Amino acid sequence: MPGVKLSNGVVINFDGSAQTLLEALERKKLEVNFHCREGYCGACRCKLISGEVNYINEPLAFVRKGEFLPCCSVPVTDIEIEIP
Amino acid sequence: MAYTTFNRQINDQMKEPMFFGNPVNVSRYDQQKYGIFEKLIEKQLSFFWRPEEVDVSKDRIDYQNLPDHEKHIFISNLKYQTLLDSVQGRSPNVAFLPIVSLPELETWIETWAFSETIHSRSYTHIVRNISAEPHKVFDDIMLNEKILERADDVTRYYDDLIDGINLYQRCGEGTHTINGETHSISLYELKRRLYLCVMSVNVLEAIRFYVSFACSFAFAERELMEGNAKIIRLIARDEALHLTGTQHMLNIMAAGDDDADMAKIAKECEEEAYAIFRKAAEQEKDWAQYLFKDGSMIGLNKDILCQYVEYITNSRMQAIGMKAIFSTTQNPIPWINTWLVSDNVQVAPQEAEISSYLVGQIDNEVDGGDFGDFDL
Repeated sequence: MPGVKLSNGVVINFDGSAQTLLEALERKKLEVNFHCREGYCGACRCKLISGEVNYINEPLAFVRKGEFLPCCSVPVTDIEIEIP
Repeated sequence: MAYTTFNRQINDQMKEPMFFGNPVNVSRYDQQKYGIFEKLIEKQLSFFWRPEEVDVSKDRIDYQNLPDHEKHIFISNLKYQTLLDSVQGRSPNVAFLPIVSLPELETWIETWAFSETIHSRSYTHIVRNISAEPHKVFDDIMLNEKILERADDVTRYYDDLIDGINLYQRCGEGTHTINGETHSISLYELKRRLYLCVMSVNVLEAIRFYVSFACSFAFAERELMEGNAKIIRLIARDEALHLTGTQHMLNIMAAGDDDADMAKIAKECEEEAYAIFRKAAEQEKDWAQYLFKDGSMIGLNKDILCQYVEYITNSRMQAIGMKAIFSTTQNPIPWINTWLVSDNVQVAPQEAEISSYLVGQIDNEVDGGDFGDFDL
């Protein structure tokens, strides 16, 4: 069960009850920007400080190194992220 | 240099830059330098919709019952959207097709502009429905100063690029005297105009459109003008894809692997790029002032819309590696997000569940077992 550590210190366990990282963050009442929830608009872009994520659908939006889209990804390892 | 519709030069398309290489000859997609544009085409095609599929008949009653200041907000917003899509339905074709060098990008540009023409036709669908005199709405676009002011900045970068391309493709680099007037053009200058043009298109699609979407959805949040909101939702879904396209172009240009000049230009134009974003944000705030001049509506007023302009400007700048220019970090209208989720978009009932509903999708897998209970 990979852990998701936020830059403000909060830690969430990705236990599989949420389909995507965005859903997991929302369940913890964390505010993440989103539009399409499908990986093509890029509105939910967050920083991936460490760890690895896997994309359920390969995103069409431009994703820079060190960034990821929580709307269409799940963590593979423990990850540390920053929500802008 | 001169444009040709079927370039006879045998070239390796995989080695061409996005723009200003050889004109495209064979439209082939078996190999792609940038697969992303092919994926964008497929996604755009899966989004196909027609305005007539959306029932806007209830909007007529809603519109008639709106107070005058809200009628002004609604119709002005619609006129502005009409202007933006009038420009976007033709300009990418006219400006970019004569200089594009990759087949997948060429087709993406055509697919992109085509979908904008659907948006334009949907505005007529909406206006016809709410007004007995649709011509008055459209005629006013060419007379309304507030809209024309915007048109100026929306089109200037396109026109500069198109003008430069015409000169370059006719006469080549250098200083030329045409009809007694002297004009100079260089390839480097053209590339600069291209970069600024793509930047301003990105601003148009990523900021200007979204400010107008906010107004459309604010009515629907009160269960008013819902047919219109349904159409705007489909338009917003397309626009999200278009701005992803321009963001990719800008990022590929800035990286420099595609064309080293473009990376240099991206650096040189940094200040100008910031100025384009800043000016657009100011204009949109001005526009908010005009929309709400006679009064606010429930859920949206001038100040909230201005905060949204700042918020969306920041987020769009960061998406292409720029720094935020406003201090706003919170979305003042978080309810807009629900309207922008693609899978909530519904056209026909059978499409309710998936956004990429494909017509005629058939399971072609057949094996012997499928005939097991079949008797003659």
